[in-house]
Amino acid sequence: MRIVVCVKQVPDVAEIRIDEVTHTLVRAGVPSILNPFDEFAVEEALRIREKHGGTITAVSMGPLQAKEALFKCLAMGVDRAVLLTDVFFAGADTWATAKTLAMAIQKLGYDLIICGMKAVDGETSQVGPEIAELLGMPHISYVKRVEVEMESKSITAERMTEQGYQLIRATMPCLLTATKALNVPRIPTLLHQMAAKKKNVEIMKAVDIGAQREEVGLPGSRTQVTKVYTPQYRTGGGTILTSENLPNAVATLKELLKKERIV
Amino acid sequence: MMVDENSTGIWVIGEEKEGKLAPVTLELLTIGRQLADSLRQELVVVIIGHQLEHMSRLLVDYGPDKILLVAGEETRYFIPETYSEVLSALVEQRKPFAILFPATYDGRDVAARLAAKLGVGLAADCTDLKIDEAGRFVQVRPAFGGNLMAVIHQPTARPQLATLRPRMVKPNKSGRKVSPSVEYIKPRISAKPFTKSLLRTVREVAEESGNLDEAEVVIGVGRGIGSSENMRIVNHLATLLKAAIGGSRGVVDAGWLPHTQQIGLTGRVISPKMYMALGISGAVQHLVGVRTAKEIIAINKDPEAPIFKVATFGIVADMFSVIPLLAKELEPPAPQTT
Ligand SMILES: Cc1cc2nc3c(=O)[nH]c(=O)nc-3n(C[C@H](O)[C@H](O)[C@H](O)COP(=O)(O)OP(=O)(O)OC[C@H]3O[C@@H](n4cnc5c(N)ncnc54)[C@H](O)[C@@H]3O)c2cc1C
Repeated sequence: MRIVVCVKQVPDVAEIRIDEVTHTLVRAGVPSILNPFDEFAVEEALRIREKHGGTITAVSMGPLQAKEALFKCLAMGVDRAVLLTDVFFAGADTWATAKTLAMAIQKLGYDLIICGMKAVDGETSQVGPEIAELLGMPHISYVKRVEVEMESKSITAERMTEQGYQLIRATMPCLLTATKALNVPRIPTLLHQMAAKKKNVEIMKAVDIGAQREEVGLPGSRTQVTKVYTPQYRTGGGTILTSENLPNAVATLKELLKKERIV
Repeated sequence: MMVDENSTGIWVIGEEKEGKLAPVTLELLTIGRQLADSLRQELVVVIIGHQLEHMSRLLVDYGPDKILLVAGEETRYFIPETYSEVLSALVEQRKPFAILFPATYDGRDVAARLAAKLGVGLAADCTDLKIDEAGRFVQVRPAFGGNLMAVIHQPTARPQLATLRPRMVKPNKSGRKVSPSVEYIKPRISAKPFTKSLLRTVREVAEESGNLDEAEVVIGVGRGIGSSENMRIVNHLATLLKAAIGGSRGVVDAGWLPHTQQIGLTGRVISPKMYMALGISGAVQHLVGVRTAKEIIAINKDPEAPIFKVATFGIVADMFSVIPLLAKELEPPAPQTT
């Protein structure tokens, strides 16, 4: 069983601050981490390997620094780590990212592909299903439980919905996207972390996956970001009452509910 | 890549479940009507499913020029591989200018597969869609946990795809007098079907927990609730407020609410009119899920809790004192006994 896990290095969204004066995103000093949803993906791959055997390859597209995210995957226990890095890949939107990853995965070989349900920076939830479509396989998104059946080469998974879940069966090859409900990712020991740093992160460039300049990166992208800005949210600065006169505080709350036509 | 300048029409892909139309469909039609009017193009709504005869009645008031009902055994259940296949055949044939989907679990799945199949762009989880002075379709979407907004164009491919978050616009009856044409289409699945099947659909969320995407009022429960038994008093308040119940990661991890109800970075992003946080500290990872709420009400016994920094109204108090008082205020007066 060949499992491929797609991972991304992202800025720690909780550490991002907005400069009060310039209203721009302060990225300096914001640590880069392995996308939290990808940790669930890696963990699930490890559990599947523990049960059914096979190999796990973690693959990421990004700048050279994204090696750090792959070291974390190696420390968690994946067999192989591949970084797709090339100036040709720069500026990719979801389509170009999915295309690049799909071309690489084609080269790497696969039975099962696992992605995080979204990256916490771009937040699109698109790359996984797009890779599945490009590789001509079914996908099960927002997965909260997985069962692999080796004999029938099939996957049975619970897919999260707004009100519960759907139980879905698909035959492999197949792609899954992982939610937080799937597992609790292991935390690699210091020893494993040090051992991982000595392992090799393989580098693949556009030529290695047979990608033409115009189909990947910015030229291959169908969406263009023409402007970015920091939004102003209409919250905060409200009246905060204490419990000194609780009936009065609650009455004020009721007035507010009335004003908003909620009651 | 060549842009087909003749592509025309704004399409809205509706969401139908168990015979019911998801409210986000009407929101999409409302915004779709504005786009279509600005461009002087037609507005088409597409519903894919099984038995859809009653659908057009629910859609007419919201201004579509055309209603396409794709109904058949093949599309009885939501399978994104099949739905995108059906849509791709329609798109190749009729060449729309833009297609809008709801940013729901299902909507995102079909939109992504369709975009990849057609090789076109897709702007995900948009909060606003408009046409600029040059007649270009503009998509606005948040990124980095809502810290940043990106303005997006798709100059190189048609159709241009976007998913829109629920509750971004109020559904608005168009007031148009022309009645739309209704067309029934049999789904055609040409490519080899995927070996994938839906075995069962399970509802985990209690009826009274409501749909987090749709509810005007959402009650967010934090670890301050202390135990799953205490959820009962929140359920009662939710009934009085017609609120949906969600919660923090702490509450979900404790098993007091199902995973679907987690709000925040690793849960759901919601936009209710009012978010009422009970016993929630207000960690950044939680707050990114409620940034677009109009009002945030905080009840927490710790005056230093960060939730108060984003609250539009707050009470520093024990929630177990506040909830019964509030419930009493909201309960209909008991009938007089003589
Ligand atoms: C990668 C990552 C992703 C995460 N994603 C999410 C996410 O998606 N969603 C999320 O919610 N969190 C998320 N978290 C966790 C987040 O950082 C917080 O730990 C979590 O939100 C805290 O939940 P809480 O407010 O319920 O609990 P606590 O922080 O423990 O706060 C409980 C609050 O209740 C108050 N309280 C206690 N008793 C009472 C009472 N009787 N009356 C009134 N108030 C009372 C306390 O004063 C306290 O402020 C994430 C963390 C990480 C690292």
